[in-house]
Amino acid sequence: MHQNKRKAILVFAILVAPVILLRLATAAYPIGQTIWLSMTDTHLFESEHAFVGLDNYRNLFADPEFRSILGFSLVFIVASTLLEIFFGLLIASLLNTKFKGRFLARTINLLPWAIPTIVAAYAFQWLLDDQFGMFSHWISQFTGMRPSVMSSALNARITLILVNVWKNASFMAIIFLAGLQGVPQELYEAARVDGAGPLTRFFKITIPMLMPLLITMGMFFLIWQLTNFDLVYGLTSGGPGTATTIVPLNIFHEGLIFFKFGYASAISVILMVFVAVLGLVGVWQFRRFDY
Amino acid sequence: MNNLKSNNNSVNKGALAQKLFMYIALAIFVLVVIIPFYWLMKASVSTPEQLVEIPPLLFPKPVLDNFQTLATQLPLTQYLLNSIIFSGVTALATVFCCFLAAYAFARIPCPGSSFLLWALVITMALPEIATIIPLYRMLGAMHLLDSLTGLIFVMTSVLTPFTVWVFIPFIKQIPISIEEAAVVDGANLWTILWRIYLPVMTPAIVTMMIINFVNAWNNLLYPLTFSVTAKSKCMSVAITEVFQTEVPWGQPWHLVSALGVVMVIPVLVLILSSQRAVVRGLTHGAVK
Repeated sequence: MHQNKRKAILVFAILVAPVILLRLATAAYPIGQTIWLSMTDTHLFESEHAFVGLDNYRNLFADPEFRSILGFSLVFIVASTLLEIFFGLLIASLLNTKFKGRFLARTINLLPWAIPTIVAAYAFQWLLDDQFGMFSHWISQFTGMRPSVMSSALNARITLILVNVWKNASFMAIIFLAGLQGVPQELYEAARVDGAGPLTRFFKITIPMLMPLLITMGMFFLIWQLTNFDLVYGLTSGGPGTATTIVPLNIFHEGLIFFKFGYASAISVILMVFVAVLGLVGVWQFRRFDY
Repeated sequence: MNNLKSNNNSVNKGALAQKLFMYIALAIFVLVVIIPFYWLMKASVSTPEQLVEIPPLLFPKPVLDNFQTLATQLPLTQYLLNSIIFSGVTALATVFCCFLAAYAFARIPCPGSSFLLWALVITMALPEIATIIPLYRMLGAMHLLDSLTGLIFVMTSVLTPFTVWVFIPFIKQIPISIEEAAVVDGANLWTILWRIYLPVMTPAIVTMMIINFVNAWNNLLYPLTFSVTAKSKCMSVAITEVFQTEVPWGQPWHLVSALGVVMVIPVLVLILSSQRAVVRGLTHGAVK
């Protein structure tokens, strides 16, 4: 028996080894390395680097630009996630009703999720082009003004969030739709017999039944949006100025354009701390709802 | 009687209004999703002159010149091949490693196994960008920068937590009595994995291969950071490079769009051909 147990452990170790070794090499080790680098002034082209303690962090938090990037990142993830939950629920409810061509509509819903983010970013940049884009053409037809979507900070920020919602609400809807299909149909029938309208049914049945899923997906999306790089890179490149820069693009600029490895690593650590905090809240919620 | 009738009537009216409202919402939804696609497709078959016409041409006579231009100006076949190898090998490698690991997590009792699984799954939350600098240095030290091997190595690792997470419930669904019966018949682990679990798991495995293939295909950050020459550049990097070339009216949207279409088509074919399975795979972890 004892030997059997030993053998089981050995087999277990062999089977999980590829995955665990991969994760150790490309996740665990780099995390440690990032934390170490964040306390140095390492630069790609300078061979000498020194331990600088928390200087990078001090400089970062003293930098008003970084503070505003951090601020907008928070606005970006919260606004995006709330809107994605809202539209995700709307789309899912719509696709859960019976109508002709429902399968086709569900297929269409997969499109924004499936296509490469960078392609979506360019498609929208072109659609919103202030001279030759269709969007600005329509707006100018109605109002006589040509909107320049990308040139003011506020417009660019709103655009970025809306395009992000376009890209990700469909994924939210896929999950919610699966959740809705698990809600017993009798509940709706009973409510209909009692004279509850569609809105009442939505707020009294759909929302409460989906609540655990809403919260889990909300937390998951908050974290996931924090890692958003492709869309910002492709749609606005973080501009005008740094108005639409969020933390990942900031790391990319500092680390891989200016090669300030130490400084960029400090930003990475801050990002990881954010993710960890959100993750812990998520786990806590998870338990609270016993889901 | 009269009362009942009018009541019925108003219910009908309400239902009709609901239906109308639903179809309007549906139409808006479909338009909002489709318009950017249409705009991309349209630009990919337009000449540059047609693109700068005001008002915008909605239905130009399609020309395929842009695809030809791309093929002559870029090593397009090389990029396509790189993308296919990168995504294909990544998908295969992920599914292979995760099948083994998921079996171990689901079926072999081992002290610390649930902690290990937990540790593995939380790395899903790790932002790709946060570890990009150490990875860049690591791949550099291993002489794996600007190589497909390096890209595959990193991407495979990134996709493993989710794949394991999806596989475990699939394995647990399979009655353990089948395995026990096979053990009594003298089957070894290899036979059990290949003859019992693999056939039953095939739908889940194919689904995850498609999802992981698309994930790798769509990935921008790693090829953008680690690839230097055409030797390892993928389609996602190619499109950013075409975008950065300047033309008098801004960006060469006709070429960007054409490349975008080339990049989107394989993804759509894959996803749409296996729509039900993909949706099941995606929702398996989240919805019980």
